[in-house]
Amino acid sequence: MIEAGYRLLKPLERWGTALENALLVLLLGAMILLATTQIVLRIGFDQGLIWADELLKILVLWVALIGSVATSRGRRHLRIDILSHYVPERFARVPVLIVDAFAALVCGLIAWHSARYVLLTIEFGDTVLVDVPAWAVQGVLPVAFALMAYRFALYCLKELLELLRRAPVETAP
Amino acid sequence: MIAVSILLVLLAVLGAPLFAIIAASAMLGYHQEGIDLMAIAIEILGLAEMPFLAAIPLFTFAGYLLSESGAPQRLVRLTGAVIGWVPGGLALVALAACAFFTAFTGASGITIIALGAILYPALQHDGYPDDFNLGLVTSSGSLGLLFAPSLPLILYGVIAKVPIDSLFRAGVLPGLLMLVMLSGWSLWVNRANRRPARDFSFREIRAAVRESAWELPLPIVVLGGIYSGFFAVSEAAAVTALYVLIVEVGILRDVKVRELPRIMRESMLLVGAILIILGVSLASTNYMIDARVPQQLLGLVSEMVTSQTSFLVLLLVFLLILGALLDIFSAIVLVVPLILPIAAQYGVNEIHLGIVFLAAMQLGYLTPPVGLNLFIASYRFDKPILDVCRATLPFLVILLLSVIAITFWPQLSLLLAG
Repeated sequence: MIEAGYRLLKPLERWGTALENALLVLLLGAMILLATTQIVLRIGFDQGLIWADELLKILVLWVALIGSVATSRGRRHLRIDILSHYVPERFARVPVLIVDAFAALVCGLIAWHSARYVLLTIEFGDTVLVDVPAWAVQGVLPVAFALMAYRFALYCLKELLELLRRAPVETAP
Repeated sequence: MIAVSILLVLLAVLGAPLFAIIAASAMLGYHQEGIDLMAIAIEILGLAEMPFLAAIPLFTFAGYLLSESGAPQRLVRLTGAVIGWVPGGLALVALAACAFFTAFTGASGITIIALGAILYPALQHDGYPDDFNLGLVTSSGSLGLLFAPSLPLILYGVIAKVPIDSLFRAGVLPGLLMLVMLSGWSLWVNRANRRPARDFSFREIRAAVRESAWELPLPIVVLGGIYSGFFAVSEAAAVTALYVLIVEVGILRDVKVRELPRIMRESMLLVGAILIILGVSLASTNYMIDARVPQQLLGLVSEMVTSQTSFLVLLLVFLLILGALLDIFSAIVLVVPLILPIAAQYGVNEIHLGIVFLAAMQLGYLTPPVGLNLFIASYRFDKPILDVCRATLPFLVILLLSVIAITFWPQLSLLLAG
């Protein structure tokens, strides 16, 4: 049953990672191109694209959120890493289990409330970049946090199962 | 409320992601004040309102790409050719090369992996004592934090709303002080081993310069561009990213095109980790400012200290403890907004404050229990963590002395800041 679950999730994880990577490459590439084009326009022709600065800032927001989703995949978010190096192996799973559950809960809450916010901006017809509906840009917020919540919940579940099975702890590199 | 706060601290110590802790505390604050939790979405979207923030992903990517290329080897060769002929020169080469590389790669521990791997065996080969080598490589991993265009400097500028080019200028002399003090100490410790790393040779210098010809314009264009005001910091970052991409992938072909997606992803992991903390702390900071936390802190502090000097003493002690517990990026984002108004009350210049903050945080890379460099070096060189701590201790003491000097000698930071 558990094995079947893992088998189902495997391709999902693979496609998810590929999508994350593609998005990060695209966003970063767009940032480099947009910012350098803007410089060439400024220096060479003494002008610039009016919407470029706003778009660049939106790209930063997207990179931050998608990057954060990617970061959650390896559990590589910044944390106060006091215990993990010192806790005896036998107890190592318990704190991980607790903090992942907590992180899942917080991300879920943020996803829920930011979804409410985005729905509200649709109602008000907010726009960015002159006439792009705001939800197209801001929608990344609930999606990213929902994905992180999902990821943390999955890790939490995995730790729980391994704890029950008394599997040995994989030592971090 | 106190119980919940203790619970959050406990979760943080257990290793919960810091952004989740910060977000939770902000949402608790909202809940108490009867503010709709939707507000957190608005605050995080504030990431798209901050000026110059694009510099962080762009410089980070350029730094990762450089560290994956042959640039570290070329840098060590060039530094060796230029200063390696000084007696005890290899230690100086190591310090200078690491400082330069850290400035360009954002102080995330990459230096130890990229340069330490070259320098550590070289130092061993030249007969330097093992403890010295380990300590040197470990502490050099965060040296150069005060030099432009390091990420912490940029982040401080964004958070404190201080002109980033002033900060870049302000970091020069304090950074040099650290470098000079460590160099002096290295020479003194190895006074028995006065072997130069190599003989002085114009031919070697010429060869090393020719080998690095494509990378040499980079610091000149970037730093010259920023210092002269020709480029904004985010523009300089974009130019750097594009230039490094063209040179390392297109011209020198040190990095293959198919390796690019992995490097881009790797670099954006760090960026995601930093910026998500920035995003949620926009929420917690605004809440704390609304709740007049800085004023309460000021009231507390002003009962204890009255003069600027005693404030600086208190600040330094606080920052050293903070640095031992929190990484530099989270510390900047979380703490700077709270101490800025307090420091202003004591007449501490915000640029000087920034340099003191970062210099003190640099020590945090080397102090247990969470010092990043200690763990990276322990892992990379396969040494027990306690050995690394012991080997690093003398370097830590020298750096501490330099931080004290930087704190109580504001002119050092402000002379060039303008």
